[in-house]
Amino acid sequence: MTLTREELAAFADGELTGERAAQIAAAVAADPALAGEVEAHRALRAQLADHYAPVATAPVPDRLTALLAQPQEAEVVNFAEAKERRAARRTIPRWGWIVGPALAASLALAVLLPGSGDDGAPYADPQLAGVLDTRLVAEQAPGADTRILLSFRAQGGDVCRVFSGEGGGGIACRDQQGWRLEALGEGSAGASTEYRMAGASEAALLSRAQDMAQGPALDAAAEAEAKANDWR
Amino acid sequence: MLDLLPRLRRFAAGLAGNPADGDDLCQMSLERALANRSKWQEGTRLDSWMYRIMRNIWIDEGRAGSRRRQTFVDEEAGVGQGGDGAQEAAVELSYVDRAMQKLPSDQREAVLLVMVEGYAYKEAAEIVGCPVGTLNSRLVRGRDALMAMLGEAQ
Repeated sequence: MTLTREELAAFADGELTGERAAQIAAAVAADPALAGEVEAHRALRAQLADHYAPVATAPVPDRLTALLAQPQEAEVVNFAEAKERRAARRTIPRWGWIVGPALAASLALAVLLPGSGDDGAPYADPQLAGVLDTRLVAEQAPGADTRILLSFRAQGGDVCRVFSGEGGGGIACRDQQGWRLEALGEGSAGASTEYRMAGASEAALLSRAQDMAQGPALDAAAEAEAKANDWR
Repeated sequence: MLDLLPRLRRFAAGLAGNPADGDDLCQMSLERALANRSKWQEGTRLDSWMYRIMRNIWIDEGRAGSRRRQTFVDEEAGVGQGGDGAQEAAVELSYVDRAMQKLPSDQREAVLLVMVEGYAYKEAAEIVGCPVGTLNSRLVRGRDALMAMLGEAQ
């Protein structure tokens, strides 16, 4: 019987079946040299398996599991497509994407007290008005008491801004007299982290703002433009 | 896919020569697989597909002439005689690692797929993209070379 070394290796790896396997098994049993080769083959196999086993039993590094943990992002294969998708999202008037960053920042102002107008609707007091006039959402520093949550254009055309702070929160809209307070909510507790959550009253204010708005919240550029135009 | 990761890391470490480079290879493979996930056909073996991707990247990297994965020390320089002391300390290679690194790539992948990963010759041949007989002979040549090197070392 002619027996190639390839065939012997295949035998040692359990690749052969049936009659041929039986023939080789008989030949190996009868020939110590062949038996030695089969034994050496299997020993090497065992040695290599042992050698590489630790890699397979060690914890998988986070950077690899993280790749699989974000199937949505990982699915994005085409930057152009992803860009289109983002652009499509941007046209949907939803607040979350701008409220998030807005909530992450806060503004240094100790206390704000809405001043009362003489006839009906209250107007922001000079201190609050100063903040409403000057501060852009994108420029707020973290760790302060009063924040501008966002700006939007109301259905009547006024620019309005949602603010929140320890002393009170609300929605102020710019008209000829100044910042008219359209809605007042409870001020939320002062926040010191950049990741503060919107309190219930802030949520109510944002919901109210959404009802009042005639489009999406102003993004940073639009807000800056509105400021340049004196919020009109 | 998550269940496959430990095995993929093992194969990558074997191809690349050490676990750190192996993880780089593994990461590239995962990224390519995720980017091409639509090309994986449902019902076919995910593991074979992943192994093929990994092995192709490894071959491509080698062809590109990149020697950065070649962290082993040449025999001529002697064991532990790397020019860079820090690198020498960071890469401790066993006899097995060094012997594997000396195998031609086609033999190394054949040995790893069959003897470490436990694939049948037919499956290994499909991953590599060669006939079963070719796989078989590469395996034997690689095995013989390894035995000779490891025999000397011991």
